[in-house]
Amino acid sequence: MQPFNYSNSPFPIREDLIGCFAYTWDKFSQPGTWLTAAERVAVAREVRNAQTCQLCADRKAALSPFGIDGVHNGDHEPLSDLQVDIAHRLTTDASRLTETWLRQCIDQSHSQGNGGTLTDASYIEILSVVVSTLAIDSFHNALGFEHEPLPQPLAGEPSHHRPTGATSGTAWVPMVSGKDVDPIDADMYGGATRTGNVITAMSLVPDAVRLLMKQSNAMYVHDVIDFSSNSGRALSRPQIELIAARVSALNDCFY
Amino acid sequence: MMLRASSEFADQQVDLSVITKGTDATSGVKGETALLNLVEETVMHPGSDNLRHARDAVLDELGPQALVDTAAVIGNFQRMTRIADGTGIPLDDMMTAMTVDIRRDLKLNEFGAAYRTKETSLFKRLMIRTMFPIMMRRIRKRAQAQAPIHAKGDA
Repeated sequence: MQPFNYSNSPFPIREDLIGCFAYTWDKFSQPGTWLTAAERVAVAREVRNAQTCQLCADRKAALSPFGIDGVHNGDHEPLSDLQVDIAHRLTTDASRLTETWLRQCIDQSHSQGNGGTLTDASYIEILSVVVSTLAIDSFHNALGFEHEPLPQPLAGEPSHHRPTGATSGTAWVPMVSGKDVDPIDADMYGGATRTGNVITAMSLVPDAVRLLMKQSNAMYVHDVIDFSSNSGRALSRPQIELIAARVSALNDCFY
Repeated sequence: MMLRASSEFADQQVDLSVITKGTDATSGVKGETALLNLVEETVMHPGSDNLRHARDAVLDELGPQALVDTAAVIGNFQRMTRIADGTGIPLDDMMTAMTVDIRRDLKLNEFGAAYRTKETSLFKRLMIRTMFPIMMRRIRKRAQAQAPIHAKGDA
């Protein structure tokens, strides 16, 4: 059975939404750039585990999220404890993460002899899976739908493709500007030479940018700075931006 | 900035304090109470009974398509906020230059991640503020040349 079958939905669901959700699940089921398919699906599962995780709730209530140790709930195979912790923190308390925390995660991964477990690029892939899952699950929550069962992971190895034009300095991870995109990733920004930081932030994993662009086109608007257009939505552009701004504020997000 | 720019473009006056105050403020955007309640319940209390009531309110006031589009935008920004906070990006230059007053008035500079954004130089700020209205006029002109878009939710 195809995923995201909304035939019993009391509300008509746009085809482009169904298409982008199904595309996301299909991508999760395949090996990624740095993670296997089994790891990608497991990261998505951790997004759901995090919603009821007592450790995450205790940290969220604490003055500092870094002073409380413990074990996250759920079955974590095949992920490392570090990968699980990252997925949970990104899901439940992202606004209090710091660059120092990320550096320590990467250093910790290497000192434990798991050299390939976490790099700046594999962190971006974890982030991509976390936010894609959360976006779709939040859509389902808002409409009162059950969460879609996660896909079955396929066998295969990650591609290990790292862009050559990534430079450090703007964010915690290197980013690829529009003019430094490798020919193989020329489609990444849809041909644009300038993009917002929130798009470029994912560019260490070009497939994460592609997924983000596809989801954003369906779930938000096609052209962010074209204020004359609501991309055919049933909401006006000010209504769309009101929702966007309030979600950001509730997440304590400055951006 | 996007709310202000889009409302200015639509010739609407919007009270931006609604961003931080939620339903305690009145923005002037059509259906705002229903929309903001659905946002709040989905983001903060996803398992609550109030979420069903909030959903019904949007359905009653704005219709099924608007409800689906609202759910999609909520999901999208559950994503975007975590990308921003998970990668430590600063505001883009244009947004930094155009939001000096908004960030001050709404106390957004007190957010934990605000330190990552450095204020743009006065020259850059003036340049962007000069260019932005020109860009808006171009968009408006282009829009007028095309068929107007009318949506049920248009305020």
